[in-house]
This record gives sequence, structure tokens and C-alpha cells, in this order.
Amino acid sequence: MATTVPSTHQAGATGPLGLGRRILALIPGLLLLAAVGYTGKIIEQSTAAYTKAHHITFPNIEYVLWAIVIGLLIANTVGIPRIFQAGVATYEFWLKAGIVLLGVRFLLGDILHLGGISLLLIAVTLTLSLTFMHLIGHAFKLKPKLTSLLAIGSAICGVSAIIAAKPSIDADDEDASYAIAAILALGALSLFTFPLIGHLLHLSDKAYGLWAGLAVDNTAEATAAGALYSDAAGKVAVLAKTSRNALIGFVVLAYAIYWASRGQAQVVGNKAVFLWQKFPKFVLGFLLISLLATLGIFAKPQLTSLANLSRWAFLLTFAGVGLRTSFRELGKQGWRPLAVGAIGEVFIALLTLGLVYGADLYLHL
Amino acid sequence: MPEPTSAAPRRGISLDVYAVALALVLALLVRFNLIPPIKW
Repeated sequence: MATTVPSTHQAGATGPLGLGRRILALIPGLLLLAAVGYTGKIIEQSTAAYTKAHHITFPNIEYVLWAIVIGLLIANTVGIPRIFQAGVATYEFWLKAGIVLLGVRFLLGDILHLGGISLLLIAVTLTLSLTFMHLIGHAFKLKPKLTSLLAIGSAICGVSAIIAAKPSIDADDEDASYAIAAILALGALSLFTFPLIGHLLHLSDKAYGLWAGLAVDNTAEATAAGALYSDAAGKVAVLAKTSRNALIGFVVLAYAIYWASRGQAQVVGNKAVFLWQKFPKFVLGFLLISLLATLGIFAKPQLTSLANLSRWAFLLTFAGVGLRTSFRELGKQGWRPLAVGAIGEVFIALLTLGLVYGADLYLHL
Repeated sequence: MPEPTSAAPRRGISLDVYAVALALVLALLVRFNLIPPIKW
């Protein structure tokens, strides 16, 4: 899909009946997410059991990849019938709930250490990648606002950042939909390439997780790219990506001020209110749960239960990643925007890889 | 000269708040053993 800006970002029921109808409308899509995700889990378990029983050497392919591939196949062949669309769009909700619950697996000290390193690297990456994206956008003669959306999407935080930026810079629906489709498609490709490169370079779980969290655009894809490498890498990828998400407001504010100064967007009034409105609130939930875990509020079996709940939420998310990614959308604005997106992604991936190597060497991840 | 402030997003509770609320409710249910242990 990814053809329209998801509308589930703002909830606003018009009454109990309206709310009831909205919840009912989610059920078919939720069942589809569960079916695709659980099928991925069954395939992983069955393949592992079969290869073990028959003494076949075969790499363990995580349910994450199976769920995404099944979702991609459905979305890009038969498509997603309308009845499923609302429920499938909830995958971001499950992602955020899963990230908040994942907070139980972090001590607050770990968050401060790795989050601090992440923020340092993010500052460097942001500056260089935004500049680079604008240079190649200009070189490929893209519309300036489409370039801005692609730059925000690839440098900061994928779909959420594009959605946050769209009204603020008064961008076209068509440009926003295209930028989202490009970010989702390029993110899907990173799921296949990042783990492969990580293994080829023998990256440690921490280094790989940090790299995936800093380089992969969309939070769902960054989480999946981390989980595909290892459980520990998945944890670090989520932390690095969450640090990146926390900066959405600042980047969007900078763009809003820039376009307003050129008379092509509305002027931002209260900047503090703007920043708070754009701040991803799930980051606070993640920190709160981590604080509770650090204070020893939960017993060990309870920590395991909460970590497993997070895994179940991510299972729905990964199914949604595949189901919401359409490669068809990419042909609509020609090859140039995709080329800019792809070149930008390669640049950011190489830049962050270099930074992570440096951080591993000098800051001791 | 463009009018100020409509660059702010629409009003309403964001998806994030619902996600945090769900996670906190689940954490409370687990903490007080109101749901059975969750397996993976």
C-alpha cells in the first residue's frame, strides 16, 4: 500500500457508536496481520525442526523474514482488499507498544550509555545526510519539497517523519505518498542486505544493532533488520532508532521554518508547543518502563512475560511491514526520485557504518 | 505574509499515547499477576 498517508495517526472517535464501528473495522486486518506473522513463526519452527531431524545444514531463517516476505508477496500480487486495510495500518501501533514493552529489557544506565553514543552519531549523520540528499535532489532536478521529504524520511525517521513534516512544509499529497512508498521499498531492501553485510564484516551484535538503528529509515524496518541479525542486535537497533526518533521534532521544525521563510509554508507560532506535538510520546513510555525495570518493580518471570508480549507485538508489526510495502507505487514519478532515495540510502549506510566502526574503536560500545 | 501556527499538527490524541497506555496496562496486569505468564 503506502499509497496514502496513513490516517491512524490521529484517533478521534465521534462517539461510542463511531468508536465501536472503527474498532470492528480493524478486526479483519488484525486477523490478517496475526495470520501472516504466525505463519512466519510456524515456518521458522518447522524448517528448524525438519533440518535438525534430517541432519541438513541450513541457516536458521527468522520468522521476521518469513512474515515480511509473505506480506510483500500478498501486497504486490493480489493486493490488500479494502476490508483489511484499516487493520493492517495498525502495524505501527503494535510497533510502538512493542518498543515501550521492550523497555523492560534495558537498564536505564544502558540506555544513557548507548543512547548517548547514538545521539552523538545521529548528530553527525543528520547534518551530512540532509546536506547530501539536498545536493543530489538538486542534481537530479527533483521538486524541492519532494527532496525535503525524501531527505527527512531517509535521514531521520522514515514514514513518521514524512507524516510529521507534510503539513508543516505544506507538501503535496502525491509527493508525501511517493516519499513514503520509496522509504518503505528501500527499507524492505535493507532487510535483505544489512544482515548479509553485517555477517560478512563480522560485526558484533552491538555494532550491527547500532548501525541498523542509525541507517535504516523506518522504525519497523530498523527493528526487523536488527532482529534478523540476533536478539541482542535487535535490542540495540531499537534503542538507536528510538534515539533518532526523539529528534523528529527538531528536524521538522527546521524545515517548517525554512519553507515558511520562503513563503511556501505557514509560519510556526509557538515553537515549544510545535516540538512537543511532534515529539514521539512512545519514547517516554519506553523510558518509563525501563525505569520501572531498573528499580526492580518486576520479578524475573514478569520481565520475561513483558519481553514476550513485546515479541508478539513485533510479530504483528513485521507482518504489516510486508503488507504495507508496494513496489508498484514507485513507477508513478519516474526513476529520478527513486534514484535519489537509493543513492541517499547507500550514502547514509556507508557513513553510519564508518561512524559505528569509529565508535566501536574509540568509545567502546 | 502567511498566518502563524497552522503548521502545527491536528488536535487529538496521537497513536503513540494509545500505544503507551496499552503497554502500561499490560505491564500492570503482568506485575499484579492478573494474566497468566506469556510464552513465546
